Amino acid sequence: MTIGAKLSAWLDERTGHKKLLAAVLDEPIPGGARWAYVFGATLALLFVVEAVTGALLATAYAPSVQTAWASVHYITFTMSGGWIVRGLHHFGCDAMIVVLGMHLFQVAAYGAYKRPREVTWWVGILLLAMVLGFAVTGSLLPWDQSGYWARRVETNIAGTVPLVGAWVQGLVMGGSDYGSLTLARFYALHVAVLPASLAGLLALHVALYRKHGNTPPASLTREAARKTEPFFPSQVAKNLLATLLVVAVVFYLTVKHHGAPLDAPADPVSDYPARPEWYLLWMFRLLHVFEGSAGSVAALLVPAVVAGYLVLLPLLDKAPGTAIRPRAIVLGPLVLGAMGILGLTFGSMQSDAADAGYQASRKKADARAEIAVSLARRGVPPGGPLQMLRSDPGLHGEELFTKSCASCHTLGDLGDAKKATAPSLDGWGTTAWLLAMVHDPDGDARFGRTPYKGQMPSADVAPKDRKPDDPPFKPMSKEDMLAVASFLAAQGDAPGDPPGAGRGDEAARKAGEKIVTDRCTGCHLYKGDGDDGDQGLAPELSGYGSLAWVRAQIANPATKATYRPKAVDDGKSKGHMPRFDGDLSPADLDLVARWTRARARGVPLGE
Amino acid sequence: MADAKEPGRRDALRTLIGAGGAALGCAVVVPGLVFVVGPARGSGGGGRWVRTVKLDALREGEPKRVSIVADERDAWTLTKDVELGAAWLVRRGDRVFAWSATCPHLGCAIRAGDGAGEGGFSCPCHASTFAGDGKRGEGPSPRDMDALATKVEEGFVVVDFRKYRTGTPEKVEIG
Repeated sequence: MTIGAKLSAWLDERTGHKKLLAAVLDEPIPGGARWAYVFGATLALLFVVEAVTGALLATAYAPSVQTAWASVHYITFTMSGGWIVRGLHHFGCDAMIVVLGMHLFQVAAYGAYKRPREVTWWVGILLLAMVLGFAVTGSLLPWDQSGYWARRVETNIAGTVPLVGAWVQGLVMGGSDYGSLTLARFYALHVAVLPASLAGLLALHVALYRKHGNTPPASLTREAARKTEPFFPSQVAKNLLATLLVVAVVFYLTVKHHGAPLDAPADPVSDYPARPEWYLLWMFRLLHVFEGSAGSVAALLVPAVVAGYLVLLPLLDKAPGTAIRPRAIVLGPLVLGAMGILGLTFGSMQSDAADAGYQASRKKADARAEIAVSLARRGVPPGGPLQMLRSDPGLHGEELFTKSCASCHTLGDLGDAKKATAPSLDGWGTTAWLLAMVHDPDGDARFGRTPYKGQMPSADVAPKDRKPDDPPFKPMSKEDMLAVASFLAAQGDAPGDPPGAGRGDEAARKAGEKIVTDRCTGCHLYKGDGDDGDQGLAPELSGYGSLAWVRAQIANPATKATYRPKAVDDGKSKGHMPRFDGDLSPADLDLVARWTRARARGVPLGE
Repeated sequence: MADAKEPGRRDALRTLIGAGGAALGCAVVVPGLVFVVGPARGSGGGGRWVRTVKLDALREGEPKRVSIVADERDAWTLTKDVELGAAWLVRRGDRVFAWSATCPHLGCAIRAGDGAGEGGFSCPCHASTFAGDGKRGEGPSPRDMDALATKVEEGFVVVDFRKYRTGTPEKVEIG
């Protein structure tokens, strides 16, 4: 006897494993091994893959609102092998849902739910629900926009169920709103309740399957079905090959997506275009097919009808054999239902593909996700990823500008030039812009659309309403205008900026300053002073275009740091820029001022 | 089935199943091992230059305790301006000597005074004493105080802050 055989005999005497193994491997399959029988085993093996990768992910995932997204980001982008583990877990779940569908159809087509296998079938339906439960709870765990919004909409639909809806919703969410308890509850379901339940039910399912054996196809003659083949090796080989094929596809998807997608961190106040995962799109589509509250009813009722039909199928089927034709009527709804689900799913995808509004929001959401992922590589603050995003001037500055400024101003592709009632900020404060301003202040991109139209005279074009007895108009020379523009542009320069174009030399700027104090302070302030006894309306020119100036103007344009109160409050200037120090926090004011100044002048934001 | 009874085919299938099973196992186990072992290896190289006090704030030969404040990265979390530890600085002319304020014995905080000789240090926990140059005096400490590199930048003393294992005669850095 070899050592291996000796050891095996020693162990067998104590455990009886040989008999057990033989019982498992020599199970006779009526009619022989078939590809049609591979789905159940494939699902069981995929579940093992999910369990192993899930346990691995749990060694690094931290389920809290502040850390969930950051830890998933860390797993995906920093830890070695993390992206593969997460990708296998994510796409392995998708694969399970697809294979579950195939398993269900194979069993239905072969009539394997018929007496005495009804309970096996029912346990299978429960397992199907559990796998969907895994998928739905799992996709919330990264606490990113896509999972967060999909679940939020679904729990809201659940909340519309009469009588128990609101209570169930509160129970699942752990309160009236999505938050720390929601995440903790979904995590507990995903890693404790569901795995334990599924493992138990799976054991029962397999035991029942083993008790009753395979159901050979009806087309097999009685004689052929009587011929059997042991489970090992033919069926085992087929099962393994099928599983390897599925795992290969899962690997392909993992590599293609470098792990699994990670959207921007969940943001409860964002305008995110919520969509459920692909396997729930058909229910989402129902919300659109049935308008209004009928949609919610349909989204609840149709799945309930589908589930009810699946449960009742073994009882409804009174046909004597497993041949398909006599069962056409009871199987009809299954085929029609599957076609309906496929149709609704593709309908939903197509409608989104053709929806320019959705595509635009999706693009915006993707851009935000990309920025968040890139920012988090440097680490996420203890306050969580939202704090990280909100303190990033590039991202949050633009969001604040879009929200607070772009309804009147335009800058780059933000704001609507047709509806603008304030100057365009493209190039604002640069030499070129200032030259255009002193030459033609009422241009469309400057005061032309504002209450200040007609208030500022051109430096080199005679006013149209000049009276004959007015002193003769003396246009400013091009050289002087350039001196003024270069002096004022330099007022806004910051030490970290790259050298700006058209700043001239020291002498030119000195000349510009002299012209400003001689000719502009009739209306403008310069270093807090004007020479009109404070009669003018025009703004402060010292520090024009600097961060301090921009911030002051946004916070409150009527503090004399920029404009004077009467330039903002008097009747003539109605529609002047409002103050934002009530709407925006000091930190947000800093951010939007930094962002606007940098974007307008075309300089980097800096640290 | 007649085919399955052929021993050749059965053996071939057996081998195929073994190979396939191994492939499936490896597909999960290999990335899993890489994933779990990765963080355990540690990133190493915990040293970093941290700006402390102005050189002018140090008086010749008089030990001064300074906090080491810098950004701390713990896995995904980046915390700004965290107090990572403390160091003792002693100025001698234009040079500044620095030692970790963590006792090499069992990690208590070393204080100035009661040391071995003038300007020395001592540990309040187990009464180890050190000389003004960090050399071990009396008591259980297995080694001298852990010296840290310093340089002066823009008038500030900058310390290369590192942490070392306690309780060992050798100075072993913790990653």
